[in-house]
Amino acid sequence: MAKIEDLKEEARKLLREGKIKYVIGYAAGTNGWMASPIFIKKPEDVEKLVWDPTCVHNLSRFLVDEKRRKEREKQPDKRPVGIFVKGCDSRAIVVLLQEKFIDRNDVYILGISCEKGGVVDEHKLARKLEGKKPKKIELGDKGQLVVTTANRKAEFPVEELLAERCLECRANFPVISDIMSGEKIKRTVEKPFGSVEKMERMPKEERWRFWKEQLDKCIRCYACRSVCPMCYCDECVVDSINLAVSADTTAEEKADKVKWIQRSAESSENFVYHFVRAIHLAGRCIDCGECERACPLDIPVRFLNKKLEREAKELFGYEVGFDPAQPSLVSSFRDDDPEDFIR
Amino acid sequence: MAEEFEPKIVAFLCKWCSSAGSDLAGVSRMEYPPNVVPIQVMCSGSVSPLYIFSAFNKGADGVLVSGCHPGDCHYIKGNYYARRRIHLVKKLLEFVGLEPERFQMSWVSAAEGTKYTQVIKEFVNELKPLGPQNKLRRNP
Repeated sequence: MAKIEDLKEEARKLLREGKIKYVIGYAAGTNGWMASPIFIKKPEDVEKLVWDPTCVHNLSRFLVDEKRRKEREKQPDKRPVGIFVKGCDSRAIVVLLQEKFIDRNDVYILGISCEKGGVVDEHKLARKLEGKKPKKIELGDKGQLVVTTANRKAEFPVEELLAERCLECRANFPVISDIMSGEKIKRTVEKPFGSVEKMERMPKEERWRFWKEQLDKCIRCYACRSVCPMCYCDECVVDSINLAVSADTTAEEKADKVKWIQRSAESSENFVYHFVRAIHLAGRCIDCGECERACPLDIPVRFLNKKLEREAKELFGYEVGFDPAQPSLVSSFRDDDPEDFIR
Repeated sequence: MAEEFEPKIVAFLCKWCSSAGSDLAGVSRMEYPPNVVPIQVMCSGSVSPLYIFSAFNKGADGVLVSGCHPGDCHYIKGNYYARRRIHLVKKLLEFVGLEPERFQMSWVSAAEGTKYTQVIKEFVNELKPLGPQNKLRRNP
């Protein structure tokens, strides 16, 4: 059983000795039950840290912000940052290391194994509780989820409440860490790409209708981009339409700015945006599901990434987020890559 | 009588092979359908997926990416990268329900003028029954 106590002890020690700048972890959220990210600078605040199935956030996104901040500072504090990671988050860190975006010495990784659990899906939980507000969610001894509400305590099997991605997770323990709590238990996943396969079996026109309906909803708030630990480009191709036009902007300058995508949230433009995002995340997406969670319109964005993850695995034998020394998917090739689709 | 549908094809041709191949077809006076808008690129590996999405977005009925045969790339391995990337794009477009025939890739060398005309003829014949591509097209 993963216990956060050993990790807390370690974090306290590191903070007291000044070996790390601060710790990014989870604390009880302001809405009562869901954990929220917390930044801890003082050893006495370590007590606030929690670990339960509501720790859904992928904190590795904050490493991207940390790097940006360091670049801006004149005399940056070069000490590493302590960070709590689940299995999926650790894979995000592996990809960031693989792309040499961050250095291994920049982070001190405190890993927690999800073991037989995972994180709770907010929508599934709301449906189960029929509008009642949960107070506490814990992982029980027998691998069930114990949900406490104001007037009762209910138990649910994990399959009913866990996020879809957790049920399809193939490595629910940190693949990289400086200190780890819990055991490296692998849950047997019958169909790691079950949800994608289900969609693939739909006839072509039905699939089109599904995506058209979903992507029509998109308001292009770019929450999926903001929350993604892999979307760290300084300038996004989607934003390159923003040319500040002043009185002395020449016609040439205006013409040179390529308008790849219009800003309007029309379905044709939304398709381009989501295609671009999916392709840019091919071989990089570690399926933390944050894009889907952050989406205010509940677009199943995750499926596009999952589909490419599956193709990368099946066509090119490429697995994401296990080896920082591996070359990336699109910057490598094998002589025998399939080419039966080429004339 | 209603006019027959004539598909618009955007073809990204690599400068060293496919573009030279299409030139050969031209100077040899071979006949092939005039539905193609050729765009010369330096290498098939330089074709960003965004070019393809953008072409569909701006009203292409079909998109072709064509490069040198494996092993013949002027830049040694550009077409190998293209092969991987284009494959992923193809899978993605199929996944959202675009007809797989609309997006194709081919290897055409500088000496294969005949093959180039063949590829275009087949492509046009496959696109005609599908009708115009309205799924990803921007509304005018």
